[in-house]
Amino acid sequence: MTDAQTPAGLLIDRVSKDLGGRTIVSDMQLEVHAGELTCLLGPSGCGKTTTLRMIGGFLQPDAGAILIDGSDISRLPPEKRPTAMVFQNYALWPHMTVFKNVSFGLRLRKLPKAEIRERVENVLELVGLTHHIHSYPARISGGEQQRVALARALVLEPKVLLLDEPLSNLDAKLRVRVREDIREIQQRIGITTIFVTHDQDEALSLSDRIAVMSGGRVEQYADPRTLYRHPATHFVASFVGAMNFYTGTLGGDGFRLAGGAQVPVDSLSSRTPGEYEIGVRPEDVTVSSNGDGGAEASVVREIQRGHYKELVLDVGGDEMRAFVAPDLPAVDRLRVRFSRGVLYRDGVLQEQSESPVAVR
Amino acid sequence: MVLPPVAVVAVFIGFPVGAAIAYTLGRAGGPNSTVALLAQRQHIVHHGVTTAAYREVLGNPHVRADLWATVWVTLVTIVVVVLLSWAIGLYLRLSDTRISRIVSALSVIPLFIPVVIASYAILTFYASQGFIKTLAYHLGWHSFPTLGYTLTAVAIGEIWVNVPFGVLMMSSGLNSVPNALIEAARDSGASLPRTVRSVLLPMNVIPTVIVATFTGIYVLGSFTVPYLTGPSAPNLMGVSMANFFSAFNQPQQAEVMAMIVFVLAVGIGTIYVWANVRASKRASITS
Ligand SMILES: Nc1ncnc2c1ncn2[C@@H]1O[C@H](COP(=O)(O)OP(=O)(O)OP(=O)(O)O)[C@@H](O)[C@H]1O
Ligand SMILES: [Mg+2]
Repeated sequence: MTDAQTPAGLLIDRVSKDLGGRTIVSDMQLEVHAGELTCLLGPSGCGKTTTLRMIGGFLQPDAGAILIDGSDISRLPPEKRPTAMVFQNYALWPHMTVFKNVSFGLRLRKLPKAEIRERVENVLELVGLTHHIHSYPARISGGEQQRVALARALVLEPKVLLLDEPLSNLDAKLRVRVREDIREIQQRIGITTIFVTHDQDEALSLSDRIAVMSGGRVEQYADPRTLYRHPATHFVASFVGAMNFYTGTLGGDGFRLAGGAQVPVDSLSSRTPGEYEIGVRPEDVTVSSNGDGGAEASVVREIQRGHYKELVLDVGGDEMRAFVAPDLPAVDRLRVRFSRGVLYRDGVLQEQSESPVAVR
Repeated sequence: MVLPPVAVVAVFIGFPVGAAIAYTLGRAGGPNSTVALLAQRQHIVHHGVTTAAYREVLGNPHVRADLWATVWVTLVTIVVVVLLSWAIGLYLRLSDTRISRIVSALSVIPLFIPVVIASYAILTFYASQGFIKTLAYHLGWHSFPTLGYTLTAVAIGEIWVNVPFGVLMMSSGLNSVPNALIEAARDSGASLPRTVRSVLLPMNVIPTVIVATFTGIYVLGSFTVPYLTGPSAPNLMGVSMANFFSAFNQPQQAEVMAMIVFVLAVGIGTIYVWANVRASKRASITS
């Protein structure tokens, strides 16, 4: 993944970190191109914040190096690094107005007053908060505080912007809006960004690339579509999006589930017959009520999800979830097939060729 | 429901204070008649009031020396206690090591040692044959001053007694500043000293004012430390008040001195109230 020829951007080079006698980040390798937004996605405690804090300079890596635009910054204190962090709880200074908060770093750099004012006004304009320039943080809403924190980071024109779950304190609706704002601003000024989240929706909708982490390691580093369609490990497949998993045998006429049902599969990541674990997205489970091939299934439960309907099915003793059109008439018995499946052995994706192959 | 507390305050504080004020202004009747019976050098009027007792006390050069000694020791103690509390509090806030935890435990120990014992310990530590002088002597510093029975010893004692409270107060104030606020300042390019000045200091004005004012009021009214470690004269007002009251049998003059100390304490108290009002005004903005 490393490319020594393009030093621009951020390179995390074989970084490890132990804390409290445990290895929190182990031998991490990650390259973020200049101007890209990368999400660190993973369950709680997998080392996302630790990684971010090492980039920001609040923690020293035990091994490895962190490079920005080709130069090693691992030994610099936070105030000397070309990074800016947006903290999870925004960390606005309560005794300073929005203007004072945003201008703090510029005042430290002893810029002329007029220039400070201009830059603060510009960045507040960018995040749409000019009218709150003289408010105290406690007087503005959570979403606005979040944008002040973003403005405070952006005004310093850092080379790398670090965001630690910046949206987790916002309600669902605001979260979607602010994350679109962030993405829009990030693309407009083309700043290299690391965004930490444990929300897969957030990661999938924001990122150029996503690094899925687990237990201090990067499981997969890929663009959202690849991550969703070709999850490299069982962990990634189950963490990103919903997935039905079955162990069974791939044969000439489909996939035989452990419970005995034989399900035809239209497209598979590998066609070599054998024992596998198969992962099938609920939207890749095709149901039909007129039995033209396919495994028999009975409907256990129907869940209305608004723009789609979720069916919980019983296929020969195995539970299966399928997303279907919301207006599909309710029936008790159905036939199912998989329009697409991915195969795993020992938790690792078994991929045979780029072009999907049909197995009937 | 308001009545019982008000009654308690009136009976146990308001009434004695009122009687004392009347006595200092020359009114020796009513509740003051018993004390006035035996007292010497009283200034008494039967109609209106007189400031004769005040004029006498403030005109007395020994009392004036005591007053300046009190102000000096109070100011020195406030400054040193605030600085020490900040230094120790900051150290405890910013470093999390075994040593810092030991320091944190040690710094509150004086809270549990009776002031009398501590005063004697300080006295012998700095006395003419005390530890410090002996040490200085052995190191070849023969002219090292004897601090026992000086105002310096009083100040050292007052500092010793007041630092634990100061450290507790400052640590809790400093600990209530979230790490992220400090890290955000570092991230913006502030050095550690600059972070202290721009974030920790402005966010801890109230604890600082509390430490300063409470220390000041404590020293103004203190007796044990100056009585045991200080010189015969000039010494703090608490000691000379006791002398005037019992040794000289001049309770009116003693009460006049108490009034003077009271006025100084009220001055300090005003700073405390002002700081709190200012903070609560801003709290309505900031939280
Ligand atoms: N100073 C520390 N000493 C010991 N263990 C620590 C320290 N800081 C973090 N850890 C541990 O390291 C692990 C990873 O922490 P980290 O904060 O990086 O997780 P995270 O991926 O950000 O999780 P979350 O999504 O919950 O924020 C956790 O198990 C945590 O308990
Ligand atoms: Mg975290």
